[in-house]
Amino acid sequence: MKILIIEDEKALSESIAEYLAKQEYHCDIAENFHDAIRKVEYNDYDCVLLDITLPDGDGLKILEQLKEDKKTDGVLIISAKNSLDDKIRGLNLGADDYLPKPFHLSELNARIAAIIRRKNFDGKSIIQFNNLSIDTQSKMVTVANNPVELTKKEYELLLYFISNKKRLVSKEAIAEHLWGNDVGGNFDFIYTHIKNLRKKLMDKGEVDYIKSVYGMGYKFSD
Amino acid sequence: MKLIAKYNRVNIPITIGILLISSIAYYFILHIVLLNQVDNDLQIEKQEIIHYVNEKGILQEASNYKDQQIEFTPTSLTHFETKLTNENIYNKIEDESEPFRRIDFLIKENGNYYIATINKSVQETEDIVRLILMITLLVIAVLLLILFITNRFVLSKLWKPFNNTLEQLKQFNLSAKNKILLQPTDVDEFKELNATTFLMIQKVSSDYESLKRFTENASHEIQTPLAIIKNKIELLLQSENLDGAQINVIQSLNDAASRLSRMNQSLLLLTKIENSQFDNTERINFSFILTRYIENLEELASAKDITIVKNIANDFFIDLNESLAEILISNVVVNAIKHNYPGGNIKIDLGANGLSVSNTGTAPKIKTSELFERFKKDSASGDSIGLGLSIVKTICDKYDFDVSYNFIEERHVVKIAFI
Repeated sequence: MKILIIEDEKALSESIAEYLAKQEYHCDIAENFHDAIRKVEYNDYDCVLLDITLPDGDGLKILEQLKEDKKTDGVLIISAKNSLDDKIRGLNLGADDYLPKPFHLSELNARIAAIIRRKNFDGKSIIQFNNLSIDTQSKMVTVANNPVELTKKEYELLLYFISNKKRLVSKEAIAEHLWGNDVGGNFDFIYTHIKNLRKKLMDKGEVDYIKSVYGMGYKFSD
Repeated sequence: MKLIAKYNRVNIPITIGILLISSIAYYFILHIVLLNQVDNDLQIEKQEIIHYVNEKGILQEASNYKDQQIEFTPTSLTHFETKLTNENIYNKIEDESEPFRRIDFLIKENGNYYIATINKSVQETEDIVRLILMITLLVIAVLLLILFITNRFVLSKLWKPFNNTLEQLKQFNLSAKNKILLQPTDVDEFKELNATTFLMIQKVSSDYESLKRFTENASHEIQTPLAIIKNKIELLLQSENLDGAQINVIQSLNDAASRLSRMNQSLLLLTKIENSQFDNTERINFSFILTRYIENLEELASAKDITIVKNIANDFFIDLNESLAEILISNVVVNAIKHNYPGGNIKIDLGANGLSVSNTGTAPKIKTSELFERFKKDSASGDSIGLGLSIVKTICDKYDFDVSYNFIEERHVVKIAFI
């Protein structure tokens, strides 16, 4: 999987690249508008992370260029502006998602995974993890072909874990993913969701994949 | 105190004082002038008597009229200074004493000396002086009255441009961006006032605009470094061999960065609302948005062991920006979850009286009226940044909704009346 990170802030693009590299993505970095235009022209990416406020050009122009070239790269806009207008404009121009700064790398990763899943739609809507399988189209979860009844949030939580498997996902990132960033404060209530999800999976004979790490978050791994 | 009252406070006593003093002076001057007249008459009378004696060699007969008496008294004096005196003579008929002017002088008839005395009544003169004084005082009083009445009308008319400007200034709202309309006037002072007011408002408005733009830009610029900090922390957490002390440090860093980030986002939101970036008002189904939002939060509430009791009228439409409606609901409802305790509950009512969200919770330690102010928060809720209610208030103010917060019967109650 190839990802292009268009971001003028070096420290940020490096962090993103480092995190994504461990998820077995190959990352290219473009630090300015011209570099970005050149890279999208000569390469095909599964997903392009696009910071629309570049010092030497309007990031949305890159999006327009992609659509003109009839490229099918997924585009995730990352913006410091969190402006509704930019979001609507970006999505209208064919971007797949919009993520305001600052964001959790795990959130970014989950969003990229969702975009790539949608792009590679041909029969690949099923995510497999050992005995566990998730059909992202019908939102069905099964353990060794036994269906597991999950609530909406439990399903989202499981998908989030699978997207960030083998990584520590902080409680805060989980809370914001499930409830938006306005719940704030103390995230201990996340434990209730984790407990319920863990119980439902283990009732179907699944191994306990969710481990608490340092008291700061959880890791989904076998 | 009104300017006119202040002016009158000085003006009235001075006017009355001057009028009193001048009336008294007028009275005396008039009196002296008329007395002089009487004295002249008496002198003429004296000359006539002397003339008569010189002509005829005898004294004329004494006379006794009501207003003038002449009498001659023999005297041994050969030298006598003519003297003029005032005297009151009793009038039997009218049973009162009347003022007279009297002249005494020496007259010689055939070697005999007499003191001639002429008494001339000054009653009429006195009457005239009083009458004149009365009329004058009356005229002055009427004049004063008319002056005061016209002053009232004229002054209030004169001050009209000033009052108009004042009224406009009272209604001026910097954040509402309403223009002020100053009435043209031909009075130089008010012209200057209007011109200065206009310039000042322009300056204040443009300063306010640039300050808002600055706040928004600054908030945007802060997002990127914040993103770097948070992402580096996240990467650091992926390390396999961290010890407890390191974890604690990372945890604190992360909490602080998250707080900063939430604060910045809320401030940015406030600025955006104030900068009218959510201006397209539409008729929205508030019931629908509220129900959808609560359904989305039900799992969160149950994870915190909080029951939500809702009583939401169907198809409650209001005019509001949809994003703002969501922000409004989210802040009020999330607050009700955040400032609650396990086993507590939340009651959400939507009806003709507006939206009412109440929840169990501990009593706030600061004045409830202060909770709408920015960064004012109850010390007990340490993880709150104190901007939620001020966002709610900013939205409500923008749409003239009436918002109130109270702590009644161990419950936090937020009410919004959509007027």
